[in-house]
Amino acid sequence: MPSSPEPLTLEPRLERRLAALLGAGGFLPSLVDALGSPLSVVLPEQIAENAERFRAAYGTHRLGGRVYFAHKANRSSALLRRLAATDAAVDVASLGELQHALGAGFTPDRIMATGPKNREFLWLAARTGVTVNADSGGELDELAALVRAHHLARIPVVLRLSAFDGPGVRVLSRPSRFGTPAGELDALLDTVERHADALEPLGVGYHLDTTSPEEKARALEGCVRAMDACRARGLRPRAVDIGGGFGVNYLAHAAEWERYTSELTAAVLGQRPPLTWRGHGYGLRNDGGTLRGALGLYPAHRPVAGARYLDELLAMPAPSFGGRSLATLLLENLYDLYTEPGRALVDQCGLVLARVLEVRRTDSGEPLVRLAMKADDAALEEHGVLLDPVLLGRDGARVTRGGDGPAAGVYLAGSLCLEADLITRRMVFLPRLPRPGELLAFANTAGYCMDFQTSRAQHQPVARKVAAWEEDGSWRWCLDEQFWPITRPGGER
Amino acid sequence: MRYESITEAIGNTPLVRIDPAVHGLRHIDLYAKLELLNPFGSVKDRAAWNMARPGLAEAVEHGSQVVELSSGNTAKALAVIAGMHGLPFKSVTNRMRIPEIKDLLLLLGAEIEELPGQSECLDPTNTEDPLTLFHRELSGPGTSYLHTDQYFNPRNTEAHATGTGPEIVKDLDGRAPDYFVACVGTAGSSTGVARVLREHDPRVRVVGLVAAKSDFIPGIRTLDEVHEVGLFDPATYDTVESVGSDEAIEGMLALARRCGILAGPTGGAAYYGTVRHLREIDEQLTEDQAAGEEVARRSAVFIVCDRIESYLSYTKRRRPDLFRQPVRRNDPADLTDAEIAAAPAIDTQEAQKWLERDRPLVVDLRSPFAYAALHIEGAINIVDQLFDELVRGGLPFSTRQPVLLVCPVGEQSARYAALLTRMGHPDVRSLTGGVIAWRDAGAPLVRD
Repeated sequence: MPSSPEPLTLEPRLERRLAALLGAGGFLPSLVDALGSPLSVVLPEQIAENAERFRAAYGTHRLGGRVYFAHKANRSSALLRRLAATDAAVDVASLGELQHALGAGFTPDRIMATGPKNREFLWLAARTGVTVNADSGGELDELAALVRAHHLARIPVVLRLSAFDGPGVRVLSRPSRFGTPAGELDALLDTVERHADALEPLGVGYHLDTTSPEEKARALEGCVRAMDACRARGLRPRAVDIGGGFGVNYLAHAAEWERYTSELTAAVLGQRPPLTWRGHGYGLRNDGGTLRGALGLYPAHRPVAGARYLDELLAMPAPSFGGRSLATLLLENLYDLYTEPGRALVDQCGLVLARVLEVRRTDSGEPLVRLAMKADDAALEEHGVLLDPVLLGRDGARVTRGGDGPAAGVYLAGSLCLEADLITRRMVFLPRLPRPGELLAFANTAGYCMDFQTSRAQHQPVARKVAAWEEDGSWRWCLDEQFWPITRPGGER
Repeated sequence: MRYESITEAIGNTPLVRIDPAVHGLRHIDLYAKLELLNPFGSVKDRAAWNMARPGLAEAVEHGSQVVELSSGNTAKALAVIAGMHGLPFKSVTNRMRIPEIKDLLLLLGAEIEELPGQSECLDPTNTEDPLTLFHRELSGPGTSYLHTDQYFNPRNTEAHATGTGPEIVKDLDGRAPDYFVACVGTAGSSTGVARVLREHDPRVRVVGLVAAKSDFIPGIRTLDEVHEVGLFDPATYDTVESVGSDEAIEGMLALARRCGILAGPTGGAAYYGTVRHLREIDEQLTEDQAAGEEVARRSAVFIVCDRIESYLSYTKRRRPDLFRQPVRRNDPADLTDAEIAAAPAIDTQEAQKWLERDRPLVVDLRSPFAYAALHIEGAINIVDQLFDELVRGGLPFSTRQPVLLVCPVGEQSARYAALLTRMGHPDVRSLTGGVIAWRDAGAPLVRD
């Protein structure tokens, strides 16, 4: 079926710094000329600004505590080192990430080890004295044994809980592989007390994979209850760790997202030509005229995301504590707040550039654009994030919709010799057909979409990474690993 | 009227004419079908009873649980019906956003399970969405459920094809109205009624109302969501139009304040959408008449689904202006920043000496839970909300009693210290930095 003439654009939301980078003329093409395609660019100053926004949300509610950057969202050294120069902290989920964080300048009191941990990871965590976010009683046993065997100092631990129940309506939660069920807290605290010589309980926490603030609110109440159980045993916990999942708003216009998802529904139901490669439904399917399945996409337009989401979560009433806000609940009980935003802290922190290699038509007449990158270099599809790339002409100028030509609906293919290597499974609408040699910029990909999945399959290059910043009205850059917050290429600031 | 059972009171609801002075239509008589007068409060009573009835005897025999995916009125009716037959009822939903309905369902003895929100980190391989799990559980071997399945059960539509629709025709003296307008939730009432009306007169125009896509009106689906409903058939409607929550509340106010019909927002949306749809037609009729054409009177019917009472918090959130509070005396909100800044305060070190010397009354304004966990020795707990109420009536303690006010960071206590000072207390002080500063200074806190 021929493509729809109506352009269903999904314009990315660009804040000032990222928009300025995309408007920097020949700067980005010269980087790709020098370093090849694909290329990742990160903006270290932005992560510092984002951390400040989270800090401000803490301030609004008079809460103390720490903002931990979930390192796994992006492996950039530049972002991490810039963050080390703020008051933010970092949570690390592997031995490599812990080494990276220590090397970037984070002192152990500003690092928390989370996630599944192997013995080396636990040992280095205990050796250096970082906080350990413990998944289970077994992990506490292992950690305590390490501490004793190597005569280390007591290790601060946060107990990760899951499966909270609350009063009133029962809220179902997606089952999690992580954490100890809140109902088994007593046994967990027995373990903590047994290891009182080795472990210092700092607090309890949760990390729920959901966009719903109600589930998080319930878990937070559950944590406050758990903290009280600790106090009742004479322990002195200080912090409640509410994890991350505050979200990112990827799109500039809510209306475009609403129209797109409506049209996608219509396409799945056969009421309009398909919008996707071979009629892919992103989880939706047509069951005799009735729509079934669930839309497997990140909610790309989110009116409330990031620090504002945190702010609204903290302002929510805690029903089982007389309806006072969650922030008040923490504050009154003298608890610090820990958060672990990943994606939201690297919002607007970078982009992925790819060179257009070829434009041709498929059998069915649709334009197929082949890029010098693989799908996993900007893993938008993998993470269900839909947004249009920005087209940069040969001179680096952003191509915008001209009055004359129509927008072009194209499919974007990668460079792997695989049918599945599509950068997008949906038709992407560009201001016009791109030409070989031009660049497509995938904006705002620093959260999970930049290097979370990258592989060296088929001996294809993985995107190199550079850090870019503005100085005296122009853009400067260096290789990601060369970036330090105090110096610049050519000497100290 | 005498009935053997409350379920006999379901149906036969009145059709009430809306005063033309309210809706302003000159050529169209507008009628409201008052489904809010069903015994459990909504149009869903009909469908719930019709769907549950055939399986009840067997369910009672096996002690089955009645289950339904419902966020509101269907669950309410089913909870009552299940309870009347000694059966447990469970509702599973991801759409229950009305706190009053949740509480009411719990009160009626329902078990409610809310589905989790969308995943933040997508797992494209995930097939275990809770809804699928729910359906799997229902169809599993050896299970005993009475699943009414309102989105796919033809008995939902049938309840209206045999009840609501014929009642409208009867009350219009055997004629179908020219226009029928209904909000689309399960599509049961609109589909059933439309079928009957069209059988009487194929010229009847049917308008379906949905919620604007990014908006939320309880009981109504958005244009996308209606496609997920098995009973929804686009061919039922001559046109589908959307209504916003602000418009629904406007309509609700017009019905309540000017027509005496205590409809909920869904009924409000139906009224608003109906008048908006008909206004253009009415103007055309006026023009036709001015041009000398003979214009026959027309009639229109819309459905008022349920009652206003359950939606107070919904309305309050969107239109706080409608819930004016009387002016309050001694309100801390009236204090100026300068007054608060000038409030007498004392830091931890000085406060400890003061406590030793003058034994001021320590009032901890935090919640009882936090107070019980840790507090300054000897402090009494008056939670701020309660303190607010107390001071409205005057000073809650003698002016001869010195007072130390304590809150988490010294912000609220400064506010109340300023207020009490203004009210004439000579020696009330706020603990600077609050109980957090107290703790950080290493001063003792007790749990007793």
